[in-house]
Amino acid sequence: MSGDSFPLDLSLPRFATDSCEATTLFLELRKPLLRYLAGLGLSGDEAQDVVQDAFLSLHQHLAAGGSRANIRSWLFRVAHNRARNCQQSYARRMGKPLDPVFDSMSRDATPEQAVLAQERFHRLDRAIRSLECQERECLMLRAEGLRYREIGEVLRIPTSTVADMVDRAIKKLAEKCNV
Amino acid sequence: MCDYSGRLIAWMDGELAENEAPVVEQHVQSCEPCREQVAAYEEVSRDFAAYCDAALEAATATKVSRKLPSWVPVAVGAAAAAGLLLLALLPPTVKQVEPVPQAGIATPPAVEVPRARPLKPAARRHVAAQRKAPDENWAMAGPAIQIAIPADAMFPPGAVPEGVTYIANLSLKSDGSVQGLRLQP
Repeated sequence: MSGDSFPLDLSLPRFATDSCEATTLFLELRKPLLRYLAGLGLSGDEAQDVVQDAFLSLHQHLAAGGSRANIRSWLFRVAHNRARNCQQSYARRMGKPLDPVFDSMSRDATPEQAVLAQERFHRLDRAIRSLECQERECLMLRAEGLRYREIGEVLRIPTSTVADMVDRAIKKLAEKCNV
Repeated sequence: MCDYSGRLIAWMDGELAENEAPVVEQHVQSCEPCREQVAAYEEVSRDFAAYCDAALEAATATKVSRKLPSWVPVAVGAAAAAGLLLLALLPPTVKQVEPVPQAGIATPPAVEVPRARPLKPAARRHVAAQRKAPDENWAMAGPAIQIAIPADAMFPPGAVPEGVTYIANLSLKSDGSVQGLRLQP
């Protein structure tokens, strides 16, 4: 009998590995994804929904034996594509200045410092909104720590184009903000 | 403008090729304008990251404020305070009237008023019948008042058969005298 035995493929260890990997990625990338989506103009609820959808897709992707290569850019791409469906939110967000909870940013500053910081922030806000859409997305993904190659995978553009866009966008911001 | 200025941001991001990065690094160390540019780009990058944080914070704050606008607690608190103040200032609606003692007249002792007994089932049934079929020809001067009067108080003994109940519709004048009386079995 022992010579007729077949290797038994239990899917449980693989499932456990997938779940562990997905959990690690969730803990690591949940906030960067939320920040990126909020930067694109999604509301808090919309961003939460998109992130949940993205991780559900990740779980299905891993369970189906999908590639583990470039999983970070894969997640951002899924979230980016989902967010693109919320075009109205994007237009709403980019159509008006971001008036953040500025008090929390300048809580410890003197009134003069707070006014100066607020002016500087509004200048930056105007400069960011004057960027081209893809330039802004490149900078947002860069701010989340993605490499140029990964940004290119998310936005489906060549890495050299990402480099050009990042270079151009940073220089525009520096010029408009008088840095 | 320096020849290296087009590669400074890529160098900052560690995106240059392995053989190119040391060359740019060496140049930046020796070139004051490039060092200043790198410092400016780093500052803008930091500000941009703070902007992204602020965007997330604003999105979360919008969610909270949609659930509970900031003026709601103030308005609720003001309304509650006004309500309490009104209750404290307004006189009570039911006043307890103290009996005024008159000279030579002793205040009568409190008399316990007997509780109203429920009407007999037969009387209730008649009331119900009256509601179902009101006499439209009968002109009521005002709202109906039901008073239960024993039959032997109105009629001579034996005039009303046992077990028969009447409903008396009375209309009163303004001075309180009876204007009209109608009996319905």
